[in-house]
Amino acid sequence: MAPADIAEMGLADLSARLVARELSSSDAVSSALERLDRLEGKLNAFITVLHNQAQVEAKKADDEIVRGQHRGPLHGVPVTIKDMFETAGTRTTGGSKILQNWIPDADSALVARLRAAGAIIIGKTNLDEFGHGGTSTLSYYGPVHNPWRLEHIAGGSSGGSAAAVAAGIGPISYGTETGSSVRRPASYCGIVGFKPTFGIISRHGSFRGAWSQDHVGLFGRTVKDIALALDPVAGFDARDPASVRQEIPAYASRLKANAQGLRVGVLRRFLDGVDPAVRQSFEAALKIFAGLGSELVDLDVPEIGYAAMTSMLTSAAESAGINRRWFREHYHDFVPHVARGLAVGMAITASEYLTVQRARHRIREVLRATYEKVEIIAAPTTARVAPLLSEGVKGNGDDARHAGYNHSNLLRFPSMLGLPGCSLPCGMSPEGLPIGLQLIGAWFADQTVLNAAAAFQSATDWHKRRPDIAKV
Amino acid sequence: MNAKDKMTARLTLLEGVNISPADLETIADEIEDNQRIVAELEAFAQGTPWISFQVQPPEKKA
Repeated sequence: MAPADIAEMGLADLSARLVARELSSSDAVSSALERLDRLEGKLNAFITVLHNQAQVEAKKADDEIVRGQHRGPLHGVPVTIKDMFETAGTRTTGGSKILQNWIPDADSALVARLRAAGAIIIGKTNLDEFGHGGTSTLSYYGPVHNPWRLEHIAGGSSGGSAAAVAAGIGPISYGTETGSSVRRPASYCGIVGFKPTFGIISRHGSFRGAWSQDHVGLFGRTVKDIALALDPVAGFDARDPASVRQEIPAYASRLKANAQGLRVGVLRRFLDGVDPAVRQSFEAALKIFAGLGSELVDLDVPEIGYAAMTSMLTSAAESAGINRRWFREHYHDFVPHVARGLAVGMAITASEYLTVQRARHRIREVLRATYEKVEIIAAPTTARVAPLLSEGVKGNGDDARHAGYNHSNLLRFPSMLGLPGCSLPCGMSPEGLPIGLQLIGAWFADQTVLNAAAAFQSATDWHKRRPDIAKV
Repeated sequence: MNAKDKMTARLTLLEGVNISPADLETIADEIEDNQRIVAELEAFAQGTPWISFQVQPPEKKA
């Protein structure tokens, strides 16, 4: 089989072929690395690539599979991880100059679980420094380019992960989200990005952006692949204070593409400033859900209009707290925009932070009542498609400094409250850039979100589209 | 305490770090705007309980 064909396979297909020994892990890893080497000069999606180590591990995986010791759906599969996750023996930088030569001696919880599952980590992806950004242009290692249009951003902070999956460099990548750092890059890069409920995946051994809002998330091309890649890494970990006890994760076996009878809430007043092409794709997506038997419910929750400000100040204060020492010892080694943000966060007082948390609680209680009326809240993931790199950090068009019916609040409230959220492709702009739909569920309704997303994908084919860069 | 003194008090939290005058001006502007945001959120949150969590062992029992 040609390397390009192998690289195009999703996780479900690849895993089945590995078990059947129609393909070897060595072939799968070589294909992914070949594509990485060919495209990386254009994408800048990686900080560290593990050519030799990945091929050694692939050989070991092949030997195990031949002996009948198959570990699960990730065994022998090439995956990538955001360079936020400590990886024993491998440089882990956080996208920063400060850690450019740091080699941890222990794996993060995510990496340990991936190794136990037999996954082959082929590279550490590029990101906004320590997750502080929404563009993946705030990296010491240069900006990530969008595989669909290279002069556009991939979104952040997990832009390298999203770009890698969109370009066919491994079927799955793992990232993190504090504000929107899984959902936004997934939307900009035309793939699925899933952020589980807060505490489902352990954050032990990953850098903190803001401890009360940080999540581990996943990127893939289909919802089925996401569910398969979620099971091995979810589960309680006592080392993460936010980790939740849960039964053995079985999201893949419980995945049902069914939206019949689902109540899907729409917050229309927040959509006024959304780009017309995005709005059009979103309305078309709602029609798909109606056709699948869902009930569309118009909602008005004005309290969500305070979410972006609340999320922003929470992140600013917590990030400053986490980075107190480095702020004083390495201020000039941070990316300047990130350093200035930390300085602003340092000046937030404790009483101000607590006031912000009180506002957060009010929004949380309102959403609790809202989720008695609906199972899912649907919205465009972002108000516009990926902006040009030349537009800088303001290109996303976010407004986290004013209350009101602006879309930035729809982007920020899921992570602020720890709700499960999935972004999936639902259209293309006239300029040929992907448009994303996000589905947000109630706390611990991760399966409901995945099932609704799977239902949407069963009725559409946006997720099958590929950027030209991946077709060669 | 006037506005200038209040800003000075906040900026002392950044002492020990050599920040350029241009950056300091940008930072100060944002700090000032954050105070406006906090005031809005304080008004929004009126009547809402204060949130605090004890860090208790996960296996706690009454």
